[in-house]
Amino acid sequence: MPFTSQIQRQADYHLFSPDTPIVIDNGASYFRIGWAGENDPRVIFRNIVQRPRHKATGETVTVVGDHDPTLLKYFDCTRSGPRSAFDSNVVYQFEIMEYILDFGFDRMGANGSQQINHPVLITECVCNPVHSRSKMAELLFETYGVPSVAFGVDAAFSYKYNQQLGVCARDGLAICPGFTTTHVIPFVDGEPIYKGSCRTNIGGFHITDQLKQLLSLKYPHHANNFTWEKVEDLKMEHCYIAPDYSAEARLFQTGAKEAEDKTRTWQLPWVPPVVEEGPSEEELARKAAIRERQGQRLREMAEAKRSSKINELENELQGLEFLMRQLEEVEEEDIPSFLEETGYLSKQEVEAAHVKAAQALRKAKGEPKGEQIGIEEKTDVSTDEKFPLINVPDELLTPEQLREKRRQVFLKSTNEGRQRAKQRRIEEELERERKIQEDEERRLENPQLYLDQLNGKYRELSEKVEQRKRLKLNGNQTNGGVGRGERLNAAQKERMRLLTTAAFDRGKGEDTFGSRDEDWQLYKMMSKDNDDDDDGVDPDEAELMQVTSRLQEIDPTFVPRVDVGGPSQPAFEVPKFRPLTKEDFQIVLGVERFRCPEILFHPNLVGVDQIGLDEMAGASIRRLSCGSQDLEDRLTKSILVTGGSAFLPGIIQRLEAGIQMIRPCGTPISVFRASDPILDAWRGASYHASSYQFAGQAFTRMDYYEKGEDWLRGYQLRYTI
Amino acid sequence: MEAEVIEAELVLPTHFRFKLVQSYEKYPKSQSSARRFKHLKQIIQAEDFHRYPPDGPNYVNIESPPPLHPCKRICDITGYEAPYVDPRTKLRYANTEVFKVIRSLPSDYVQRYLSIRNAAVVLK
Repeated sequence: MPFTSQIQRQADYHLFSPDTPIVIDNGASYFRIGWAGENDPRVIFRNIVQRPRHKATGETVTVVGDHDPTLLKYFDCTRSGPRSAFDSNVVYQFEIMEYILDFGFDRMGANGSQQINHPVLITECVCNPVHSRSKMAELLFETYGVPSVAFGVDAAFSYKYNQQLGVCARDGLAICPGFTTTHVIPFVDGEPIYKGSCRTNIGGFHITDQLKQLLSLKYPHHANNFTWEKVEDLKMEHCYIAPDYSAEARLFQTGAKEAEDKTRTWQLPWVPPVVEEGPSEEELARKAAIRERQGQRLREMAEAKRSSKINELENELQGLEFLMRQLEEVEEEDIPSFLEETGYLSKQEVEAAHVKAAQALRKAKGEPKGEQIGIEEKTDVSTDEKFPLINVPDELLTPEQLREKRRQVFLKSTNEGRQRAKQRRIEEELERERKIQEDEERRLENPQLYLDQLNGKYRELSEKVEQRKRLKLNGNQTNGGVGRGERLNAAQKERMRLLTTAAFDRGKGEDTFGSRDEDWQLYKMMSKDNDDDDDGVDPDEAELMQVTSRLQEIDPTFVPRVDVGGPSQPAFEVPKFRPLTKEDFQIVLGVERFRCPEILFHPNLVGVDQIGLDEMAGASIRRLSCGSQDLEDRLTKSILVTGGSAFLPGIIQRLEAGIQMIRPCGTPISVFRASDPILDAWRGASYHASSYQFAGQAFTRMDYYEKGEDWLRGYQLRYTI
Repeated sequence: MEAEVIEAELVLPTHFRFKLVQSYEKYPKSQSSARRFKHLKQIIQAEDFHRYPPDGPNYVNIESPPPLHPCKRICDITGYEAPYVDPRTKLRYANTEVFKVIRSLPSDYVQRYLSIRNAAVVLK
């Protein structure tokens, strides 16, 4: 980072005579203070004040500049952020300015003597409003007891300093992209002509701010990492001015190789998550063994249960067989009395129980059911035997028998129903077979025609099904998932409509709901189950499946369309939860590298409706309206870029190209970067203040009070010495 | 105060011997600090630059003019050239992929993107 604070307290304050001026470059981003005649400022710090609350004692303290962030842990900075004395490039909060001056003079080593007994040269913006200028003078005179004060413009000092170094000529343009504003000042005969100057309210602050916002929008999870200081660092390390924005952006858009090379990544601290080690081989084997043992035990138990059941059933069956044999020997009349102790009522019942037990036994033994049907049929044949009471008139029966008869009627009817269903099934089977047969015949008759027909049918059906699906997913396609309406499918939308109309259809006129039967259909349509008709298979869909399988059977070239209702689905589903990787903690700087600095040339990109750097140079020359081609050529031959943003790589080439475009053809153009865009303003001011004419440029407290505001408004430093 | 804080002289002392008037005398705590200064807008208004001769430079008339040719439109998300504008969100976008992204953005993000180029809806 090229800018570092330098805030050690100086020990040699008392060695300087009261004639030695103190020089202050009061920039919106950095405050630099030092002695006139020296080459570098003594103290440099960020021009900000914080007023945090001390956590332990609860008192509000003042902290000037930026300090070691680890020391700020003792303070509660949440209530107020860093504050600046500047609104745009004009000092307006003189309370904050006073804290800053306090700190600056203190670190210069001033102590005692009740005042700062040195003339002060302090920088201000171009055409500083007189309010700000007089307040600053007042502060310096009244609070610090400064003997005399001079105001100058930083960009002008920088130009003069570079003129001395031989970088630029007596006539030329100073282009100064600063922190909050950008100026272009023409110089004629070594003096700045403010009439021809130009200011656009955009600067390094806006670049950093835009980068910060873009990054935190691009990486919302890492937004905490984008502190102002960090983004400022990123800007200074990575940002550059593209020679041609559109071409550069297109490089990135097409994913060219150069773009890849130009992409920078910033790896945030990332600790790979602890990988859970799977259970060892031994563990797995042990677990498998346990599972196996348990399974074995369960199997044994099941086996034992089964065999005991079989045993039981066999016993029962034997008992029943024995009973039946006995019954055959017994006389018909004696049966009821004989059966009394066994619990059965009739011979049929015994037989039924026997059949049932036999079936159960077969099932338990796991024998096929094959004979079962036969047995059933066999039993079905003897319906008369089975339901002896049905054909007996009611009058002849006792109440008990009557009940028995009703039961038998019921049993019989269900039995018959089952028979009919079976009959129908068989018929359907036959019908289908017949159809297939016919189909096959048709195919054999004219295979090509048949295939064409089938294909046509397939197309028709698949389109129909697809359309239905699309209708169902309606809205999801046009998607964006913004409005609620778009998330509902057609059926759900219809339902919502019904509900809302029902809800608002109250109290107008007579309520005739329910007078017609159709009214009640409404409830059916409203009910939730209505819309999920997915359960029932769509007949079209079923037919489509049939046709598809048939086609697959007979046509080797047939490929079923896979994406039925597909286009609404995203191509791939990103799993919702996946382990975070190193890449998730990477901040990729691609287009942002030149997108943010581009605002210097196109302030419109951040909503500032003013011309950019290159056009400002043209506007400035126009405003100067010197009318001499020769002077204009001399101006464009010596263009100096100074100020913090002058460090951006590529700015010189871009400016040359841009100014070439707006100046007449053949105009000589040369653009130079200041020898040190940051410190040259202070150095120029230091040089200026050290000359013996400086005393005549400064004004005293007496002047300030006697000459009045109008004079102060017109005050202008002469830079040529 | 902690030793290391004192060591670094982090906190600005309230009293300096080199000052004629101390800040605690000038800015008593009871007085609200918001009353003590004018914002730049108020300063400009109070200055009333219309009264001054138009050929003399002042803070207002040295401002750059608006550009003559229309500004390049760039995609609010990606920074590519943007031929399209989404009528719903008013965001500029470069291609269909960006459009998909735009439509999936929550509305506060849309407003934040718009506010970068000072086009967000501001409720007053």
